[in-house]
Amino acid sequence: MTHHTAEARAAAKKKPTVGIYGLTGCAGDQLTIVNCEDQILDIFGAADIRSFLMAMSNNTEEQMDVAIVEGSVSSKGDLEMLQDIRKRAKVLIALGGCAVNGGPQSGRALKNDWKERVKQVYGDVKFSIPESLEPKPLSAYVKVDISIPGCPIDKLEFLRALGRLVKGDGPTPVKYPVCIECKYNENECLLFKNELCLGPVTVAGCNSVCINNNVACVGCRGPVAEANVAGEVEMLVKMKHPHFPDRKSFSYDDVVNKAMMYGGSPMVDLLEKAKGAKK
Amino acid sequence: MREIKIEHLARVEGHGAIKVEVDGKKVKKVDLEVLEGPRLFETITLGKLPSENLSIVPRICAICTLSHKNASLRGLEKALGIKVPEKTDLLRSLMLHGEAVESHSLHVGLLALPDLLGYPNAIAMTDKYADTVIKALTMKKFGNKVMETIAARATHGENPIIGGFGRFPTNEELFALKDQVGALIPMATAVIDLVGPMKFPTWLDEETQFACMEPGNKEYGLVGEQILISDGTKLDVEDYKKLTNERVVPHSYAKRSRYKEKPYTVGSVARVNLLGGRLTGKAKSYYDRYHNDRWKKNPIFNNVAQSIELLYALEKIPPLIDKITGMKDPAVVKPGRDTGKGTGGVEAPRGTLFHSYEIKNGRMSKVDIITPTAQNLEDIERYMGIAAQAMLDKGEKDDAIKKQLEIVARSYDPCVSCSAHLVEIVRK
Repeated sequence: MTHHTAEARAAAKKKPTVGIYGLTGCAGDQLTIVNCEDQILDIFGAADIRSFLMAMSNNTEEQMDVAIVEGSVSSKGDLEMLQDIRKRAKVLIALGGCAVNGGPQSGRALKNDWKERVKQVYGDVKFSIPESLEPKPLSAYVKVDISIPGCPIDKLEFLRALGRLVKGDGPTPVKYPVCIECKYNENECLLFKNELCLGPVTVAGCNSVCINNNVACVGCRGPVAEANVAGEVEMLVKMKHPHFPDRKSFSYDDVVNKAMMYGGSPMVDLLEKAKGAKK
Repeated sequence: MREIKIEHLARVEGHGAIKVEVDGKKVKKVDLEVLEGPRLFETITLGKLPSENLSIVPRICAICTLSHKNASLRGLEKALGIKVPEKTDLLRSLMLHGEAVESHSLHVGLLALPDLLGYPNAIAMTDKYADTVIKALTMKKFGNKVMETIAARATHGENPIIGGFGRFPTNEELFALKDQVGALIPMATAVIDLVGPMKFPTWLDEETQFACMEPGNKEYGLVGEQILISDGTKLDVEDYKKLTNERVVPHSYAKRSRYKEKPYTVGSVARVNLLGGRLTGKAKSYYDRYHNDRWKKNPIFNNVAQSIELLYALEKIPPLIDKITGMKDPAVVKPGRDTGKGTGGVEAPRGTLFHSYEIKNGRMSKVDIITPTAQNLEDIERYMGIAAQAMLDKGEKDDAIKKQLEIVARSYDPCVSCSAHLVEIVRK
């Protein structure tokens, strides 16, 4: 990741021009920006927002200092739009789980491929329209300068990143797992309660919000750098099933299913590696 | 033959476009193109645990996240033989009211009002209507706070779980919400005072059909076990397909819904048309003042319906909190079985939402989700067609036509992401 770049510093000398875009996703990260009710008027004051289709109708599309892109690349239209944005932007920010990791739609719960799944939903109808693409993160196609993970992004993390960017700096990526924040919050470890918790392999930044509420981490922020997925899988398959007590334990597939909820393509790679390590 | 095209439909959630085909002086065809790629949610959760399904499906849409959560909970719990205690039920109702406050104040105050007042966006509105924008933002923030308190996050909160909550919010947290409502009620009435007296074009008026969930007990509400349709029909929620009659059409990935071979409308205006007599408090007085038969013919009244529902939701929150805080936290209810079927029906801010499930040996084996915007698509296109023809007949220029079509589409408060898990229409 290239933070603190010369481009970013140059971009900040005057009020930076910004475009906010959505590819395929739930729009939750753009909504989180709109949800900054106390700061939104300031955001529009500090940055020159030229394009934000979700909130405005008088958008201009030209060269810009910062492009903020939410969503996964899931159609040829998405891909063309992303490539066009990349060409016009000095700094490209991948905003949220779909843009950073591919999102739940890249989660391959079933082994069958994308075309088969399309058929499963729509049947045998012959479409006269262009094909969709298997959903992938932005980095599968273009260079991403800054990643802000989360499903959705954390409001404060976004505001901090934007604030630093406006001042010519970039955000500092989080390199530790949710467990660190969870310990600070003095939560009882849910792994002791046989809950399939993904905290150990998930990048922090959410203040362990789910575990603070006795809910196991679903991994919505994606895998942390150097996640020990092999260790996590080995530990989890030994646990008793908390919801159906007559079950012996979680299966390998159960663990993979959960890890793939939001892990996207980086998690696919980590699971492949974990498999290799097991052998 | 010529084409009028709006490449990017702004101020709606998701990525959409509008295309009109004109032959001489006649509108041949109007398409609302949903340019979101498909995500195939119905196949994502197959083979996964019900709890994982519950986490994933609200990600269909960030604005309707808790409606998806509630519809999913209702379907899954029915399938697993779970009946939740009253406190859990009331808290879920409270979070839906929070979502209604958030979503309606966002749509009416920040996305639709610029249309009705002639501005490109809410930020530009601050020249003369700064007060209105700030009121909308204040109510929106409160709606988010309600959702955050109960679901643990304003968007995609994981605290609502099968059988209950990971953590029940404390009475202090709930009273802190209640304390804010008094100041918000005049803000909601100010919005209705602004939107209610507005004049909407009569050339758009044409009858349609409406549907919503029947809350039971002669009450106004956002969940139910029956579907109420404007022809008087009542359906069990398990028979939702008799309303939606979804079909695949070859020219698009859109599965279209028609009832009795005709389009129908769901959402605020449907609820107020069908159940408005059951409203209470100030919301009822506003309903009595502004509701009339044109609401059954013109979708732009959805904006007024939403502002009345916004007030209703705010008025409903304090008594709900009083009731909830008098109850003890129940234990989380465990599944009674691991195989079964169930359908949940919920009124999302923009209309009726169905989640229908089959679970086999503790794993998801069938998932069918029908969203409000998918159901509204045919009526949105129909009313855009009426608008386009009327504007052509008046000799209006393309720019004016485009603007009017956007206003019609936006009045439905469409959630393009919601419909796009089923829909991708890219027509050449």
